[in-house]
Amino acid sequence: MNFNPSTDLKLERIVDVKPELVWAAWTQPEHLKKWFAPRPWTTVDCQIDLRIGGLCRTTMRSPEGQDFPNTGCYLEIIPNRKLVFTDALGADFRPNEKAFFTAMILLEPHGTGTKYTAIAMHKDEASRQQHEDMGFHVGWGMCLDQLVELFQNA
Amino acid sequence: MPKQLSEYNQIFHALADPTRRAVIERLSLGSATVSQLASPFAMALPSFVQHLGVLEKSGLVHSKKSGRVRTYHLEPETIQQVEHWLSSQRHIWETRLDQLDSYLMQIKPSLEPHGEKL
Repeated sequence: MNFNPSTDLKLERIVDVKPELVWAAWTQPEHLKKWFAPRPWTTVDCQIDLRIGGLCRTTMRSPEGQDFPNTGCYLEIIPNRKLVFTDALGADFRPNEKAFFTAMILLEPHGTGTKYTAIAMHKDEASRQQHEDMGFHVGWGMCLDQLVELFQNA
Repeated sequence: MPKQLSEYNQIFHALADPTRRAVIERLSLGSATVSQLASPFAMALPSFVQHLGVLEKSGLVHSKKSGRVRTYHLEPETIQQVEHWLSSQRHIWETRLDQLDSYLMQIKPSLEPHGEKL
């Protein structure tokens, strides 16, 4: 993929469970609801139609009780290996009004566990707006050196 | 000061190009003249100067002319605005994956050892 360090994020993790379990956590609503929203937000609803073009909907609730539904669809599904979804398109690829991101989750066995990579590609101004709408306020973290490092790793 | 949407568009457009990102990297080491900035690139000078124009318009850099030499400087405040946005997104994902990992460890004992259907 063509990684753009000013709009894209890539996170890698190693976790000591089998890929099948990580896959289940990403693809089964009862699992996903338990961890998907960054606390103190909660995931109050989740619908997953696990097929290409199938609906993927999560509704996150803010600490103030406001609900933010997010509707997308799956673009690529390789069980226990790769999951790609976007909110640019809804069920059966119908274009959504707003496009915010495409996410790619890559899994591979790593010893007795799993190495997984999450890549989030954002549409700049739309996602910025969404971020403000959703009221995530995070301190200014990184200094310029780290930003340059980010560029260099791209 | 928060920027307008159109200003963000210009910044992200400016950062979307690898040549312009390389210029930002170079300027993070200190200010530089047009010819110093252009020298690593096999590119006609007018095309390169266009890239500098895009960067300056976005507010990521600014330039000063002294005699016949134009010198470019980084505008750290604009870069911090971008970084603020991206680090917020990163924070969301970090938190989310932290929660995923602890959830996985929590459900592992009940699901994994017996090879049950997940």
